[in-house]
Amino acid sequence: MTVIGNEKVRKALRYAIPFGLIPATVALSATAFGEKRYLILSLGIAVMAIMLFMAGIEKKNIGSRRMVMVAVMTALAVIGRFIPLFKPITALCVMAAMYLGAEAGFLCGALSVLISNIYFGQGPWTPFQMLGFGLIGLFAGYLSKPLLKSRVLLVGYGVIAGIAYSMMMDVWTVLWYNGSLDGSLYLTAIVSALPYTVLYAVSNVGFLLLLRKPMGEKLGRIKLKYGV
Amino acid sequence: MREFTDGNPIAVAVYYLCVTVITMFTMNPIVILISLVASAVNYALYAKGGIRPHLFSIALFLILAVINPLINHNGMTVLFYLNERPITMEAALYGITAAGMTVAALYWLRAFGKAMTADKLLYLFGRLSPKISLILSMAIRYVELMRNRWRKIQTAQKALGLYDDGNLIDAMRGRARVLSILISWVLENGIITAESMEARGYGSGRRSSFRLFRFRGRDLLIIAVSIALATVGIVGLSYASIDWYPAIKTNLDAPISIIGYIGFGILAILPTIINTKEAIRWRYLISES
Amino acid sequence: MAIFDIRKLSFSYPNAENKAIDNVSIAVESGEFVTVVGPTGSGKSTLLRLMKPELQQNGEIQGEILFHDQPITALKARESAARIGYVAQSPEEQIVTDKVWHEMAFTLENLGKKQKEIARRVAETAAYFGIAPWYHDRTATLSGGQKQLLNLASVMVSEPEALILDEPTAQLDPIEAAKFVDTLRKLNRETGVTVIISEHRAEELLPISDRMIVLDRGQIVFDDTPRAVAGQIEKDSPYLPYLTAAARIFIQGGGQGERPLSVREGMRAFRELSYSSPPAFAEKKGSDHEVALEIKDVFFRYEKSAQDILRGLDLTVYSGEIFAVLGANGCGKSTAAGVIAGVYKPYSGKRKLFSKAYKEYKNGSLYKENLSLLVQDVESVFLRASVREELRGCEDIIRELPFDLSPLLDRHPYDLSGGERQMVALCKALKSRPRLLILDEPSKGLDPRYKKQLGDLIMELKGRGMTIILITHDVEFAAGCADRCALFFDGAIAACENTADFMNGNRYYTTAASRITRGIIEGCYTVDSAAKAMGGEHG
Repeated sequence: MTVIGNEKVRKALRYAIPFGLIPATVALSATAFGEKRYLILSLGIAVMAIMLFMAGIEKKNIGSRRMVMVAVMTALAVIGRFIPLFKPITALCVMAAMYLGAEAGFLCGALSVLISNIYFGQGPWTPFQMLGFGLIGLFAGYLSKPLLKSRVLLVGYGVIAGIAYSMMMDVWTVLWYNGSLDGSLYLTAIVSALPYTVLYAVSNVGFLLLLRKPMGEKLGRIKLKYGV
Repeated sequence: MREFTDGNPIAVAVYYLCVTVITMFTMNPIVILISLVASAVNYALYAKGGIRPHLFSIALFLILAVINPLINHNGMTVLFYLNERPITMEAALYGITAAGMTVAALYWLRAFGKAMTADKLLYLFGRLSPKISLILSMAIRYVELMRNRWRKIQTAQKALGLYDDGNLIDAMRGRARVLSILISWVLENGIITAESMEARGYGSGRRSSFRLFRFRGRDLLIIAVSIALATVGIVGLSYASIDWYPAIKTNLDAPISIIGYIGFGILAILPTIINTKEAIRWRYLISES
Repeated sequence: MAIFDIRKLSFSYPNAENKAIDNVSIAVESGEFVTVVGPTGSGKSTLLRLMKPELQQNGEIQGEILFHDQPITALKARESAARIGYVAQSPEEQIVTDKVWHEMAFTLENLGKKQKEIARRVAETAAYFGIAPWYHDRTATLSGGQKQLLNLASVMVSEPEALILDEPTAQLDPIEAAKFVDTLRKLNRETGVTVIISEHRAEELLPISDRMIVLDRGQIVFDDTPRAVAGQIEKDSPYLPYLTAAARIFIQGGGQGERPLSVREGMRAFRELSYSSPPAFAEKKGSDHEVALEIKDVFFRYEKSAQDILRGLDLTVYSGEIFAVLGANGCGKSTAAGVIAGVYKPYSGKRKLFSKAYKEYKNGSLYKENLSLLVQDVESVFLRASVREELRGCEDIIRELPFDLSPLLDRHPYDLSGGERQMVALCKALKSRPRLLILDEPSKGLDPRYKKQLGDLIMELKGRGMTIILITHDVEFAAGCADRCALFFDGAIAACENTADFMNGNRYYTTAASRITRGIIEGCYTVDSAAKAMGGEHG
């Protein structure tokens, strides 16, 4: 009964999610839940998007050494979430993505949120946070070549990741409070979350600059030594 | 005694999903009242979180209830003026309902969080994807390993006079140092873990996923009952409606809605029913022996 | 029938001058218990890894390894994983998952076994290994001995025919190690699993081994029963340290006839001999020396709600002596080391170093020329990418060392062997020129050669006037160099005497030499002294 472990079910899911489950969620949310339909819709889509990514990763053959390194980076990101104010989670996901690939970045982001929320509290925000940090890692993986080369680009990525994450979570906040994405409320949310956004962006840039060299060297050495 | 949360994690998750989703996605005051009472009772009796979460809930409820009428001036029944702004009854009632919804949802989620230990979370993901669940399990092990090692490194560095937390900058520098050592230690020795995986057949073909939790009749029953009651609740809800502004206009008492409330009510007290039944049975067993 | 048939095997690593394995031929019979010994770098690990296809490293192979008459590399991945079990040295790093039950199921999961079969095998194995009481525990909370037992058990669930173990007890304390070896013996006797183990710990292993292979520079030096090998090794052979204490005493003392292996055989052989009076031990002075460290009635716990780890610790260490604190793993010795080193603050009790209270050492002056602690996990001191950077500022100290560290300078700390790493870390601990040096388990995992090197270094440091506290479970090592010994138990010192009295007063926590000579010659506790006493007969 392993859902994604089973090849056939997995294939079926890849089609069922975009063509079946998502429209069904839309329909359900529109009829039964009236004014809060966007909330349930966005939540449903976030969950399914995560499942889609995970289905893709389940299919890939990840060697044991890469697995260990991904687990280590994830654990580091979990521990990093316990640091007050400045969180290195984005920086760690980006490092994982640049050296270990886009999937590793996604896993590091999504799974570290999932594990740390065992302590911080799971909730409907979990899928959004998972998707948020997962995507930050994923895109960093796709952009790994330029990001590895240029420090300016890396800093830029850190800033954009911080802002984008914050704005995405603001969408969620507004949906939770209001039910639909009201323009002026969204603006208020963005403005009131500005200190956090700045904090995100600053800690992203700070930790990226701080970790880039020493951690890059360590990861590079390990990759070479163990032939990952 | 087999409490409600001792059942199969899938059953527990399905139940909490049903009850939380309905609570979160409605503004029906009757449903929210039922949900608030049931979730608070459930949390107080079985989550054993002490008195503090309740104080927090009360504070949160008050704040959220007050915020809406202060910001939102819609509605035609003006209660009084504050700084020349009208405070309306409609906005106040909406605020109370929204606050009740949030607090109830948080109670459910907290109870769910307490029930979903790392073990159960891994079980759920193991069903979904063996690979992800393995990475999760490895990462959870590393979290604990790193905590222990962090302390060891700190001791080692202090005892060589290389770590000082006299002032903020020294403390930061010291932590960066400890972190750097930790990363090397874990990454470099990770190869031993990787080899241990290879030696034990990781990557030799498709994995299976061993599960400690079994699926019993009771679990299936809980899932079926939860989904059935949730469906009744959702259908009933879709026939009820409430407009808040400009004046409150309700249609909450259609017969089918009332059936929906009853359905949701039973759903909300399901854990309490099961736990009470178990407690009685337990007492009965003791008095008999 | 041979389970492993190794024929003219040679192996060299890429870019290496010498062969790691040089023309080795071994046939291992099914059900045999084979112990492989040899110095670090002799090719033991390489050889064992070649017998486990998943762990073969890059390099050039000549000759062949047959497993049941088929080339071992022809084994299918799943076959090889299930039929050849492998356990490595580090108890902690081999564990993959977060829970004991999950770790036990891991191999069978990888082999794609069904739920029912996994449940049955795991249950059976957990019961056999006595794991049931901690089956639901988190792996991170286990002791070192439990971790290694778990590693063994989680390999045995797939019912392998052969078990390959690379120094599995090197990180364990003597009691844990004896238990582990005992489990191996039981497995070998009761299930017929072939055991091939490399170890430095001769005392427990040789008496139960069917065969002993001595490997050096990639070549086989001896391959015979342990008794026969003991019969071929002479007094000045470099392989003498790989034998048990009984055999070493007998050989060094010039005993004739069949050589004893176990303590029991040693006692029997000894009784039949005449012996000279025991060598006189100079009474170790102490009391007339200056007091270096004074710990009085110290109580410590990590957190307010936790239990006391130190319960009224009293300790006096004199200037210029080597003081050993002995005790099992996990009894709080390392915590005591942290308290002595001033890292942890006791909530009650007095601490004085060189007749000055710890409080009076301000601004880290405690760690400048006064005190230094080297913890047992030396990984926790390595920060840089090369030994040279790591030891910056230690150039004088490197020059003063009785051995040469310079060939290691350009290597990465993690590319060094355990022994080399220990020496580099020790050098780092000496950087501040401490008057009191505290070493926590410095001999853990070292081969006899590095142990001797470490012992020599400690003696040399003592000669320069340094006070040294050894925190260790290695009784033999402490006996070899300590002036006084203390037994740490239940958060305090249970006994503290000069080494001779300590070793001869203890029944269990003492050296093999002391146990062998007990009641026959009094006052011997090292192999050398026992051999000397025995040698009296022969002049």
